[in-house]
Amino acid sequence: MKQRRSPITSVVMIGLAGLVGVPLYYIVVNTLKTQEEMTRSPLALPTHLFLDNYQRIFETVPLGRSFLNTLIVTVAALVVQLLVGSTAAYAMAMRASRFNRIFGALLLLGFIVPGQSTLIPLYRMLVGAELVDTLRGLVVIYTGGAIFCYFLIQAYISRLPFEIIEAARIDGAGPFQIYWRIVLPLIRPILVTVGIFQTMGIWNDFITPNVFLSSPEKSTLVLQVYRSVGEFSTDWPSFMTMSVLVLIPMVVFFVLTQRHIVSGLLAGSVKS
Amino acid sequence: MSASVLTPAETSTGVPAGAGRPPRFNWSRARETSANQLFLVPVALVFVVLLIVPLTQTFYWSFTDFTGYSADVKWVGLSNYHKVLTDPSMLAGLGFTLAFTIGTAVLITACAIPLAVVLNKKFFARNFVRSVFFFPAIPSIAILGLVWGYILSPLGSGVLNSVLNSLFHAGPYPWLSDATLARLSVIVVAVWGGAGWHAMLYLAYLQSIPADYYEVATIDGASARQQFFHITLPLLTPAIVISNFLLMTGGLKVFDLPFTLTKGGPGYSTYTITQSIITSGVAQGRYGLASALAALFTFAVALVAVAQLWVSRRIERRVL
Repeated sequence: MKQRRSPITSVVMIGLAGLVGVPLYYIVVNTLKTQEEMTRSPLALPTHLFLDNYQRIFETVPLGRSFLNTLIVTVAALVVQLLVGSTAAYAMAMRASRFNRIFGALLLLGFIVPGQSTLIPLYRMLVGAELVDTLRGLVVIYTGGAIFCYFLIQAYISRLPFEIIEAARIDGAGPFQIYWRIVLPLIRPILVTVGIFQTMGIWNDFITPNVFLSSPEKSTLVLQVYRSVGEFSTDWPSFMTMSVLVLIPMVVFFVLTQRHIVSGLLAGSVKS
Repeated sequence: MSASVLTPAETSTGVPAGAGRPPRFNWSRARETSANQLFLVPVALVFVVLLIVPLTQTFYWSFTDFTGYSADVKWVGLSNYHKVLTDPSMLAGLGFTLAFTIGTAVLITACAIPLAVVLNKKFFARNFVRSVFFFPAIPSIAILGLVWGYILSPLGSGVLNSVLNSLFHAGPYPWLSDATLARLSVIVVAVWGGAGWHAMLYLAYLQSIPADYYEVATIDGASARQQFFHITLPLLTPAIVISNFLLMTGGLKVFDLPFTLTKGGPGYSTYTITQSIITSGVAQGRYGLASALAALFTFAVALVAVAQLWVSRRIERRVL
C-alpha cells in the first residue's frame, strides 16, 4: 500500500474528529466557567480556574457513595461471572461426553435470549427473595452474564495444548488442582479480555439498576446521574460537572486497558 | 455395575458402545468424572434459575391474564398477543425500534467503512483521531443520552440552539419535542456513538488484507475506486456481517439512549419495545401483556441470530 502521508487527509480527519469531539469539549470546558461566562462565550477556554461547580457537586450529590456501590457490584459480579464461566469451560474441555455436548448447545440459548425477555419474571423472583433494591440482588442478575463468559473462555481453552493437562493428570493431580493450579493461570489472557468487557458492561449498565434499585443511597453512578438530572432541571453547569466527574473512572479504565480492548474487540466479535 | 447382571443379548440393545466390556468398574475414573461434572453445577444453576425458569414464566404468562396475584390466573389464549399488536403504545414502540434498528445499521455501516479505510492510511495525528472516534464507546450510553439531551434541548438555551442562534440567528428548533426531529435526533446520536466503534472493527479486518493485493492492482492499472469495490469491499464481507449482526441485535434491544434522551417522547414517537416491556410489566403490573410482547421480542432476536449464523456460514464457505 502507498504509505504516503497526505496533508489533506490530516486536515479533513482532524476537522471531522473535532466535529465528533466538540460536544465533549464543550462540556468539559464549561464546567470550569461561571454560568455568566458560559452564556457569553460557550466555546472559549476558561479565562481563569473556576472550580465552584465541582465543589458544589461534591457537596450536594453523594457521588462517593454511588461510586463505591458501583465498584462493589462490578467487582463482585465480575468474580462470580469469571468463576462460573471458567469452571464450566474447564469441565466441558475435560469431558466431551454426549451429555456435555448437548448441554453446551443448550447454553447457546443464554447467548441468544435477550435480557428483556426474562426481566419481568426475574423482577418477581427478586421481590420474592427480598433481593430487590439490594446490591446483592443486582449481582445475582449480572451472574447471568457468566454464560457469555463461558463461550469466550471455552473457545480459548479448546485451543490450549491438552498435553499439559494430561501430564498433570498422570502426575496425580485431581480435577480441582488442575483447574486452580494449571488451567486458571493458562487462561489468564482470555480472563483479562473477558473481564475488561464485562467490567465496562456492568459499570455502564443502566437498565438493571433502573429497574431493580429504588433507594437513593444504593444508586450506582449511572443511575445517580439519571436521577440528579431531574433535580437540576436547568442548572446545566451542575449537570455537566457531574457528567464529567462520572466519566473520569471509565476514561482512566479505558486508557489503562486500551490495548486489550482493541484486540479483544476483534477476538470477541470474530467469536460471536 | 448393573451391567454385570445383564445377559449379552441385553447389552447389545440400548447400552452405549464400550459399556459392554467386562464390568471392571474403575473407581478412580468414576471419581474423577463426577468431580469433573461438579464444575458444571454453577453454570447449570445459572442457566436454570436465571434463564430457563424466567423464560418459561414469560411464555406461560403471555397466555394468561396474570396481574401479579397468582390466586386468579386465567388462561386467555392468544388475546394478549392480539392486544400487543393493536395497542397504540406497543405498536409505536415496535415501529420506532424497527426504524431505529434499520436506520442505525445502515447509517453506521455507511459511515464506518469509509472511516476505517481512511483511518487505515497514514496521516498526521492518526492515533489521536482514532481515539476521538472511538471514545463514545467507552462511557455509559445512558450518560451520553443525558448529555445529548442537554445539547439538543429544544429550549432557546439548549447548546445547539444557542450556538445556531449566535452564528446564524436561526431557531430555536424543537430537536426533541417534534416527533420526526426527535426520532432523527435519537438515530443521529446513536450513529455518533457507534460509528467509531464499528470503524475499529472494520479497521482490524482491513489490516489483515495483504498489501500485495493493492500493489498488483495498482500495477494492473486499477483506480482507487476500483480497488475499493473489487478488493476492499469483498474482503470486508465477514466484518460487514458481524458488524450488522451486532447492530441488529443491539438495535432491537435499544433502551438506554431513547429513554435518557427523550423518555420515549414526545408522545410515543421514540418509544421502544424494551420501554414497553418495563412500563407495562414492572410499573403497571400488566404481566400478561408485557410477557406477550417479550415473547414476540425473543422470537425476533432469535430469528436475527439464526439468520446471522446461517449467512456467516455461507460466506465462510464462499470466501475460504
